[in-house]
Amino acid sequence: MTETEEFTLNVGPVHPSTHGVLRFVLRMDGETIKDTEMVLGQLHRGLEKIAESRSYLQFVPYTDRLDYISGMTNNYAYTKAVEDLAGITVPRRGEYLRVLVMELGRIVNHMLFTGTLFLDLAASTPIMYCFRDRHNILELFESLSGARITFNYIRPGGVRGDIPEGFIDKTRALLKELPSRIDEYAELLNDNEIIKMRLKGIGMLNPKDAINYGVTGPMLRGSGVSHDIRKDDPYSVYDELDFKVCTRSECDTYARYIIRMDEMRESLHIAEQALDAIERLQGPVSTSYFPRIFKPARGESYSRIEAPKGELGFYIVSDGSEHPYRVKIRSPSFCNLMALPQMVKGLKISDLVAVFGIVDICLGDVDR
Amino acid sequence: MNIINDVKNRFEHAVVETYTQNDGKEGMLIKKESLVDVCGFLYKSGFDHLSMISGMDYVEWMEVVYHVWSYTRKENVVLKVKLDRSMPVVDSVVSVWSGADWMERETYDLIGITFENHPDLRRILLPEGWIGHPLRKDYDLTVDQYVIIGEDGSDVVTTDASKLLRKEVLHDRN
Repeated sequence: MTETEEFTLNVGPVHPSTHGVLRFVLRMDGETIKDTEMVLGQLHRGLEKIAESRSYLQFVPYTDRLDYISGMTNNYAYTKAVEDLAGITVPRRGEYLRVLVMELGRIVNHMLFTGTLFLDLAASTPIMYCFRDRHNILELFESLSGARITFNYIRPGGVRGDIPEGFIDKTRALLKELPSRIDEYAELLNDNEIIKMRLKGIGMLNPKDAINYGVTGPMLRGSGVSHDIRKDDPYSVYDELDFKVCTRSECDTYARYIIRMDEMRESLHIAEQALDAIERLQGPVSTSYFPRIFKPARGESYSRIEAPKGELGFYIVSDGSEHPYRVKIRSPSFCNLMALPQMVKGLKISDLVAVFGIVDICLGDVDR
Repeated sequence: MNIINDVKNRFEHAVVETYTQNDGKEGMLIKKESLVDVCGFLYKSGFDHLSMISGMDYVEWMEVVYHVWSYTRKENVVLKVKLDRSMPVVDSVVSVWSGADWMERETYDLIGITFENHPDLRRILLPEGWIGHPLRKDYDLTVDQYVIIGEDGSDVVTTDASKLLRKEVLHDRN
């Protein structure tokens, strides 16, 4: 094998396929990647420090800005940690409403993932399809929370408000329509020869390494580890719902893409059950009383949930005052990104875009 | 069955105290000298997923908290070590869980806890040369720090706003 002189190649921080501001410093041998270093922090806003000067309720909108693609799950992860800390229970109807919006949020995330992944691979059609359908879900979120991206909807004690008139019918119509849309993506993409050539057999990560690097979510399930926090360490009402954990054992990027497709269908199935429950159950969606000046007793709690990108955790320590003493965020993007150098080692530069796209990170989540 | 009892039996003097978090997760405070041994034992007992490392500043002392999960046993366990605030140094657990790499770098960056035997302990979110560690309780929030381009083109952290290209930033704030 002929070898060329090694050189350093800079990619980013402003580059269309870095999905934000992330900088790669690649050590290259010709077109082959020998080593990857990432420079983070361009979007670091110090959310953990900000939390220490806000009240517990005031911090909820900040969590929307973490992973700004799936704000609902961020709201919930923080909210759950606060509720665990203070021992608050939420009416069952509220919990089902939370599950409904979280699962729709997961579909939104995976649609955006599918669109941007193939945009990076120079296919410009999928993002049009995905944004068309994502729009319909965001309309529902807007009717609930008044916002399309930064919801501030799930908060300690319940959710912001009950469903508006006509919400059930609109959601049911959408849930009926979406499976055919997802089939449409699958028909367009799954057996596409070019896509298979770009994605199959690259970005390998074996189960042992995936666990050891702390990779979670669809990335971990693509390595053949059947683990889903919704199943194995259930929170909210997930233990009452019927769904499958989508796993594939190929360990490559194509498997991780197919998992996202399957997860969209599973999420639709969960959303349907949650919608039925909301219709069936009577009563409020929030606890009747949540104090304006909320001072949980001294203590600590750690909640982790299955966010669309992986395991999202909040560790909150209270010193008995109205501000959290410390909030530590475990973001899935940050931990999944750590495994990237391992996955792209020895690949060509064009594969970096595909493998990086499949990790599905959000820089707001990485840098916090 | 209970992992905390297993640790207690295996390492007689390592566990200082045990406690339960508000959410029911069980934890133990261990001596910092035996951290790597206990973590290695946990890993062998099936606790293969290091969920999070958090650094804590309690003004009189510092703590590092490890939240660990087992994929096979489906159990949580929490580890804590207490550190001297004037010299917060603890052994790195990268040798046990590779995923600890960036988490320890982040803890070092933001709260100033040094991890011994870490392969590459540098700042990760903040630029090299940043003054202080922001998540410490005595961090001075009134001092603005700026990143400017140095003479050789590298990033330089400074508190001197007069060299900024956009001077109106300072003007607007005052």
